[in-house]
Amino acid sequence: MNTLVILFRKELNAAFVSPIAYTVAAVFLLVLGYTFSLTLFSTKVANLNYIFHQMYVLSVLLVPVLTMRAFAEERRTDTLELLLTAPVRELSIVLAKFLATLVLVLGMFAGSLAYAVVLGLYGDPDWGPIYSGYLALALHASLLVSIGLLMSSLTENQVVAAALSLGTFLMLWFSDSVAYLLPPSFASLAVNLSLIGHFKPMVSGSVFLSDAGYFVSACLLALFLTTRKLAER
Amino acid sequence: MTDGDEPPAILAEAVSKRYGAFTAVERLDLHVRRGEVFCLLGPNGSGKTTFLRMLAGYLAPSAGRLLVAGHDVVRDGLAAKTKIGYVPESVPLYSHMRIGEFLRFMARLRRVPAAQVAAAVRRVAELLALTDVLRKPIRALSRGYRQRTALAQALVHDPEILILDEPTNGLDPRQIMETRALIRSLSGRHTVLMSSHILSEVEKTADRAALLLDGRLLGVRALADTPDLEAWFLSVT
Repeated sequence: MNTLVILFRKELNAAFVSPIAYTVAAVFLLVLGYTFSLTLFSTKVANLNYIFHQMYVLSVLLVPVLTMRAFAEERRTDTLELLLTAPVRELSIVLAKFLATLVLVLGMFAGSLAYAVVLGLYGDPDWGPIYSGYLALALHASLLVSIGLLMSSLTENQVVAAALSLGTFLMLWFSDSVAYLLPPSFASLAVNLSLIGHFKPMVSGSVFLSDAGYFVSACLLALFLTTRKLAER
Repeated sequence: MTDGDEPPAILAEAVSKRYGAFTAVERLDLHVRRGEVFCLLGPNGSGKTTFLRMLAGYLAPSAGRLLVAGHDVVRDGLAAKTKIGYVPESVPLYSHMRIGEFLRFMARLRRVPAAQVAAAVRRVAELLALTDVLRKPIRALSRGYRQRTALAQALVHDPEILILDEPTNGLDPRQIMETRALIRSLSGRHTVLMSSHILSEVEKTADRAALLLDGRLLGVRALADTPDLEAWFLSVT
């Protein structure tokens, strides 16, 4: 536990000395602010449904940029050799990187709480879908970060890591689109793998255990595979 | 002193490392005594780095048994890692950190109790003449200071065994002499296992040397009994 805290702090510090985190957060909040203003003035409806979908899309595009360095950079600079020859479990290294990146992403998401406050002050929003929407976003972010780390653990090239992550996210996003081309048993699998298929119900206020279970189990699987990859040497 | 007087610092029994059809280290047996400076000598690609990486726990042996301070590096890897300090050939450091910050991080990672971290960092900073540059960013360091910082992180937890992969690589003559002197000063208190492909380096630093070629151990010699290392090298290669 102690080692996890030490590694977590190091990862968080590393993120804040790099311009990547600031750039990604700035782009994220700028695009989100623009979208929120535009939607609010054009529809005059007090909900965040559109914003949550916007955050879903932006995180698919931006999380690969945050996770690409995680292991790829440590491999390229050989600092992974320092970590793996210290008395540290591979799981601690993976969890520290996962938690630090997740904190960054959730921190960016937290910027959007200002919109909820604005809606609360000047309108009468239905708070249920807003709570479940943030839950969906947190689960979505956990899954994306864990897959991004897995991809980063496979290569020492950051660009390759980012491309692999983005490709995987897009495949998962649109996996239900190919369902009609597949035999029924595979079609069901493709539909159930869909990122958006599990995200949409939660954002509209319907929280099903199956949707939360999808995000949690896929995230744990990605973290397990990353740990195995790190231990394989 | 004979080898049987006390348990060895490092014991390798028939250790091999294979990558598919390629064998990097083949059935290597080695016995390193406590407190000595032992050098693995061999040309590039002879398996020195692979063997050191197995000892440090970075690579797993494909076969054989490898003990560090009595701990099996595979079965009891975490305990073995607490006993070693390791400096890889590439001298990896976190360039976004300052030297002091990096040493504190490595000390905590290597299980130095929190209350003793500051003292441990001061001790190694004094030993390696880093006291005045502890606040300097690592990205701004010269090769010599990078090497000193890497040595400091390997010594910060006062390990029983120090593993140095080509420790004088890329250093200027003065830095090479300083590093040699440091390694000699560490013997006795620490066991030092280092690698080199430079004969004069081995002669001036090590108590004993093992010669590796194509992943195989060709022989082990005490330097005191080997007045002409070059002749020995040529006779067995």
